Amino acid sequence: MNKRYVMVHDENKCIGCQACNIACRSENNVPEGVTRLQVRVEGPYGEAPNLHFKYHRVSCQQCEDAPCVSVCPTGAAYIDENGLVSIHNDKCVGCMYCIAACPYKVRFINPITKAADKCNFCKDTRLARGEQPACVTACPTDALYFGDANDSESEVALLLNTKITYQDKTHLGTKPRVYRIPTKRGGIES
Amino acid sequence: MNNTWGDMAQYDPLIWNWIIAIYLFMAGLSAGSVLIGIGMRWYSKDKSIESPILKASAIIGPVAICLGLACLVFDLTKPFHFWLILINYNFDSVMAMGVAALMAYMPLGFIYSIIVLRDDLAKWKLGFLTPIGNMFLPFRKVIEVLMFVLAIAVGAYTGFLISAMNAYPMLNTAILPALFLASGLSAGAAGNLIVALTCFNSSTHDGEVMKLHGLDLPVIITEMMFLFMLFTSLYFTGGAAAESLASLSQEVWGSVFWYGVVGIGFCIPILSMFLPSSTRHTKAMMLTVACCSLTGVLALRHFIVYAGQTYIS
Ligand code: SF4
Ligand code: SF4
Ligand code: SF4
Repeated sequence: MNKRYVMVHDENKCIGCQACNIACRSENNVPEGVTRLQVRVEGPYGEAPNLHFKYHRVSCQQCEDAPCVSVCPTGAAYIDENGLVSIHNDKCVGCMYCIAACPYKVRFINPITKAADKCNFCKDTRLARGEQPACVTACPTDALYFGDANDSESEVALLLNTKITYQDKTHLGTKPRVYRIPTKRGGIES
Repeated sequence: MNNTWGDMAQYDPLIWNWIIAIYLFMAGLSAGSVLIGIGMRWYSKDKSIESPILKASAIIGPVAICLGLACLVFDLTKPFHFWLILINYNFDSVMAMGVAALMAYMPLGFIYSIIVLRDDLAKWKLGFLTPIGNMFLPFRKVIEVLMFVLAIAVGAYTGFLISAMNAYPMLNTAILPALFLASGLSAGAAGNLIVALTCFNSSTHDGEVMKLHGLDLPVIITEMMFLFMLFTSLYFTGGAAAESLASLSQEVWGSVFWYGVVGIGFCIPILSMFLPSSTRHTKAMMLTVACCSLTGVLALRHFIVYAGQTYIS
């Protein structure tokens, strides 16, 4: 595995507009009622007049140690040659074990295919054409970055080396590949 | 609900529902019943007759697991593709290991039942199966040992199945498989007793029935101990694990636990032991207590499935 695709979400730049959410929906034909990606606006945090919100991207974390893959009885949930956590629709029986096991609760049953579904970094659509994922392209504030972190020249590698980032629920040992740049509040420079 | 990011329905943490709880109950009942039936046969002096308890387990074993699996299959989003599970195995998955165990447990269970019930089959117009029973009779010992081992696997695997998910602190503990095996034994004992007393006209003073009755208390104490261990370990883990203990005082699942599991499942059988022996050993009393045990085990599965999925770490 020579690629290590990661996504970085800069929560300073994010405005919670859901452009990414909608772009994902149309690019990947996500049916009504379900979604691969939401940006939840959480808060407000802090004391007035210094209130702030948190912009929390909720989507598959592309775990390096993915619980959804190890529990799947049929191997429908698998890790592809580029390390992306993916799903073989025709092997999935819809037992929902992966959905229960995902600590980030981002898997769902696709009402059309009846198979488990989730963000796959647009690997069947835009990535396959050599483009950036839909959400990254659509973001009006450039809050999203995507690329191969194993390539030291890449933008994401540079970001991860220079910015403070965090990942969700690292205590569970899943090694998520979605990194977040936390909102910086209160300082003059912010 | 109004928010900018859309429908939240798919984010409900409750993924597996009562159907799974029933499946877990049925699998536990089947395994427990087989373990008790075979265990008591090994323990009894007269091995030439098929005891009513063993016959009861020969019925409950295969029937309960088939009903349970039917629940499971129809809970799949693609029930007609269930066969995919039978040909693709990911041996990292507890579910795949469970399916593999069931693939051996089910056919063997039917064969063993036919062996045990070979003289009764004609009564139910199933006489054509008797030759099969006689054919496998020489291998009885081997089949029995295999069934015993597989029943332990099936009983414990239901616990491993839901404890393998580190997202849920209440489920993700090593105690769960042991707890499920113990409560499966108590369901199996109760089920065997009910079927032996009602279908095989066993007397309440039958030696085997008395022995089975004597198992109640140790099994209940073991279950209570495992539950206590589960809750203390959650308490000392802290964080989301400790928070999940709040389910014990929540309205619905708190009541299911205190009234269903503790009240009906533990207290009634224990209190019944203080009744005068003439009342305690009537058929009606024995059946009531057995039904209480079954209810308690069913309530425990529901409590674990629902309360367990409510808290995410
Ligand atoms: S976030 Fe969930 S669905 Fe995505 S790889 Fe991790 S466990 Fe699997
Ligand atoms: S729902 Fe499908 S992908 Fe998920 S564990 Fe079951 S078979 Fe695998
Ligand atoms: S990477 Fe693609 S599939 Fe994933 S959230 Fe973005 S647009 Fe959706």
